[in-house]
Amino acid sequence: MLTFTLRRVSLFLFTMLVLTLLSFSLSFLFPGDTVINHSGHINATATDLIQLNKDYRMDENIFSQYTAYLTHILNGNLGQSMASQSSISSEIIKLLPATIELSLVALLIAMLVGIPLGFIAAIKHNKATDNAILSLAMLGYSIPVFWLGLLAILFFSIGLGWLPSAGQISPLFEIEHFTGIQFIDILLSKSPYKWQAFSDASAHIILPACVIALGPATIFIRLSRASMIDVLATSYIRAARAKGLSFIQIIFRHAIRNALINVIRHVGLQFANLVTLAMVTEVIFSWPGIGRWLIESIYQRDYTAIQSGLLVLSCFIFIIHILIDFIYAALNPLARGNNNGS
Amino acid sequence: MAREKVYLEEVFPSPFMQLWGIFRKTPVAMVGFCSFIFLILLSVFSPILAPYTPIDGNLDMILLPPAWHADGNVSYLLGTDELGRDMLSRLMYGTSLTFGLSFIVVIFSLVIGVVIGSLSALTRGIKSSFLNHFLDVVLSIPSLLLAIIIVAILGPGISNTVWAVAIVFIPQFIHITRYAVKEEFRKDYVLASRLDGANNFRILYYSVFPNIVERLMSQATLAQSAAILEIATLGFLGLGAQAPLPEWGAILANGLERFYIAPWTVYLPGLAILFAVVATNLVGEGIRHALKLRKEN
Repeated sequence: MLTFTLRRVSLFLFTMLVLTLLSFSLSFLFPGDTVINHSGHINATATDLIQLNKDYRMDENIFSQYTAYLTHILNGNLGQSMASQSSISSEIIKLLPATIELSLVALLIAMLVGIPLGFIAAIKHNKATDNAILSLAMLGYSIPVFWLGLLAILFFSIGLGWLPSAGQISPLFEIEHFTGIQFIDILLSKSPYKWQAFSDASAHIILPACVIALGPATIFIRLSRASMIDVLATSYIRAARAKGLSFIQIIFRHAIRNALINVIRHVGLQFANLVTLAMVTEVIFSWPGIGRWLIESIYQRDYTAIQSGLLVLSCFIFIIHILIDFIYAALNPLARGNNNGS
Repeated sequence: MAREKVYLEEVFPSPFMQLWGIFRKTPVAMVGFCSFIFLILLSVFSPILAPYTPIDGNLDMILLPPAWHADGNVSYLLGTDELGRDMLSRLMYGTSLTFGLSFIVVIFSLVIGVVIGSLSALTRGIKSSFLNHFLDVVLSIPSLLLAIIIVAILGPGISNTVWAVAIVFIPQFIHITRYAVKEEFRKDYVLASRLDGANNFRILYYSVFPNIVERLMSQATLAQSAAILEIATLGFLGLGAQAPLPEWGAILANGLERFYIAPWTVYLPGLAILFAVVATNLVGEGIRHALKLRKEN
């Protein structure tokens, strides 16, 4: 486990190095003055500029410029937004939890729907059910997410009027900002209308979360189907059958556990995919998350915000990636070893 | 025992022809393949086939519903948009932008990725390890996010979108080529030709490439379905094709304001994207299915 951890830590450090280098070089690639791109002080006076140049060590060599930039990031100073002139780190702290909340709910829906369907397809391998599930998965995988979002709004919000079409919660409810994750904030708040707020927030999250979940759910169907087919072909399943266990017992006690492990391994990669889908969906559903903020920054040519937003978003994706690697290693002893004897 | 053929000549089709033989017998894959060919033809010949121009509107025919509707007009088969532009012509011209460009982009990144990937498969040591780590990082960033980053650097526009998507797919092709070439190099037939005195490039060209071309094609179809979705998504977000261009995602975004009174301006381009992606995915599925069957035989 120690080697495994060390390897992950080294990968993490390497990735952070590449990501910060990338975001550092973005300031040079974007149009405009590099130091202004770093800091976002678009209206800086001459004295400010001298101070900024000193802070970011612009007159020294590129390596020491990079260290200065890294120091700024490590101190939590991501500069200020060119458009609104407010601190980017505080904006991100406000927006990132909404995205985390939305993507986690979507991931949950995707896994809860996708994995069982995949297992059913694998059990009915090469039968009509399998083909139907696979065709549905293919269709779901091919639908453009923005179109699906619009159709969902047209059907469920405008046509049937069941669910709200925009925002995170009705503005009638005043929820104090503790963690930023709406559901936890509602539960922590002392408002007498806590439960109404809770159900309102749930009604708001269902539609965008389902729209985001469709794509990853179809991938989970494929993954879990493939892994279940593999597991069902192994000899320990045959041994269990020879022992006289019923089909239900074999599936629930032996097959599902082993098949799930292989699915969990891919959750990290799917999460990255899901966050991107969430960015687009946030725009359609006016969800106050980091994706919408980032895309608006691109419209406004707010380079400091783009640079820092990308850095934070990719760090977040990568941290989840590594976390899932650890969960996978904790669940599967085979993944922990360093190939000794295998 | 009488033999009809004196010389028993065994016909042994090449791996690629075997694959095509299996592929041809899967009806669903063939439907996908025909739609794929249809889309390619449409993207080449749309200027000849389209009944109207995609840019100029007819202001007497604003927001006409599709022909099957009670208020529809049969000379505008799929209706018109808010400037009286014929939806059918716009969608046909859009094929060459969304589908045709994605096809070109994938071919482009495929070629570059294969060259870099096969060269890197032949290197070892620190260079190779660095590339491996670097690819891991790049591949862990979702392709759409990466495309958005690159468009943010280059600025919005259809040509920048194309560059962004091309750059995004190169690492994927490098990765898959590298992996496939390394795997093939471990096999005995490569050893055999090495013993015959062939150098690395000869092995690569004559022995390895014919055996990995199907895997690359299957990856290319995956990449193309992603490329179509990416070009359309960037167009929808207003970062890709700009206003008068009939790119499918941009047409959809354009119809957004009149979404409720003229739903066909939104659902038709969406259906077009869906059709293109499904056709591409069906071809890809067909190739993967055929590869699996060929392996089992």
